[in-house]
Amino acid sequence: MSVALPRNTTNQTEGWLVGDIARVLHRVTGGVIVVFVLVHVAAQAALHAPAMAAVKSSVGTWLPIAQSQHWVHAVLYFSLVFHTLYGLRLVASELGARFDYRRSLWVIIGLSALVGLREVARYV
Amino acid sequence: MSKQITVVAEVRRHDPSQPGEPHYQRFEVTGIDSMRVLDVIRSIYENQAGDLAYQFACRVGRCGTCAVKVNGVPVLACQEKCKPRMRIEPLTPFPVLRDLVVDRTEVEARYAALKLTPQRTSAHPGRPEPIEPAVAEKLCHYDLCLACMVCVSACPAVAERAFDGPAYMLKLRHMAAHPADSANRLDQALEAGMLECFNCDVCTQLCPADLSPAQAVRDFRKQMIFGGGKPA
Repeated sequence: MSVALPRNTTNQTEGWLVGDIARVLHRVTGGVIVVFVLVHVAAQAALHAPAMAAVKSSVGTWLPIAQSQHWVHAVLYFSLVFHTLYGLRLVASELGARFDYRRSLWVIIGLSALVGLREVARYV
Repeated sequence: MSKQITVVAEVRRHDPSQPGEPHYQRFEVTGIDSMRVLDVIRSIYENQAGDLAYQFACRVGRCGTCAVKVNGVPVLACQEKCKPRMRIEPLTPFPVLRDLVVDRTEVEARYAALKLTPQRTSAHPGRPEPIEPAVAEKLCHYDLCLACMVCVSACPAVAERAFDGPAYMLKLRHMAAHPADSANRLDQALEAGMLECFNCDVCTQLCPADLSPAQAVRDFRKQMIFGGGKPA
């Protein structure tokens, strides 16, 4: 009968703390989504709302251009996919699903990066 | 064959009972490259700074008393291999008694307040009680916790929110799984801030006993959502 020994704990200070990466990325991507929504609403208001007509010639010209940049789309799509998938992973794990915390994070980052890169590729 | 290396260690020095601010003192220690952080600290104490306060007991990763922060990461000093450059600090967020020694009074008080022995509704029968092998295996696994506080020190939720820490969740889950225990461990976990956990698994990654306090929190949350008693 084989005995499962605890993993090697002699190099804990080397490498990344996966949980910290996940937590920070989840917050940053959430922030990106909120900021983009706010900017998008502001841009649309500057273009179409009569009450914002005074800023249409200034903000209304550069803000829509800025938010339609392909790298902005890439960051936004990465953020949307990462935030959604990681959030679902958190909910599922609390409902009883078991995930390897390392592997699941890299899979989610990989999928999110693919979607982000696809946005870049569309414009190249 | 072991090579000789010279390690540069910056150790946080502070005695709260004396005037003066915390500062880092630089030491150089030469030894074999497989020496552990504790070997470096002991060498500093024996050869360079006899007034350095630190603590250890077993030296084999079973007592949990030598836990310190190395380059910002909480580890067991007796297990962690030394690095060419190290910044050695006492565990946070515990009050420092001196140098690398922290005050565990609050930790012990919290453990005592949680009543971490089976709370029985009837008297003990006076003979060993049979336990299902699967449950016994689970209890033994939970019992590996060293109470070293590495997980509490690393936990971002402890730093940001009103959360006692992963170690307490694990102990409560241990009791929740015990067939002789009748206390409401879920309520205790909620009072200890279970819902504040980020579920990030930093505690799982760093636990020297290979336990998963985060999974204990997830089990409690699952129990809270779906109900259910003791896990089989």
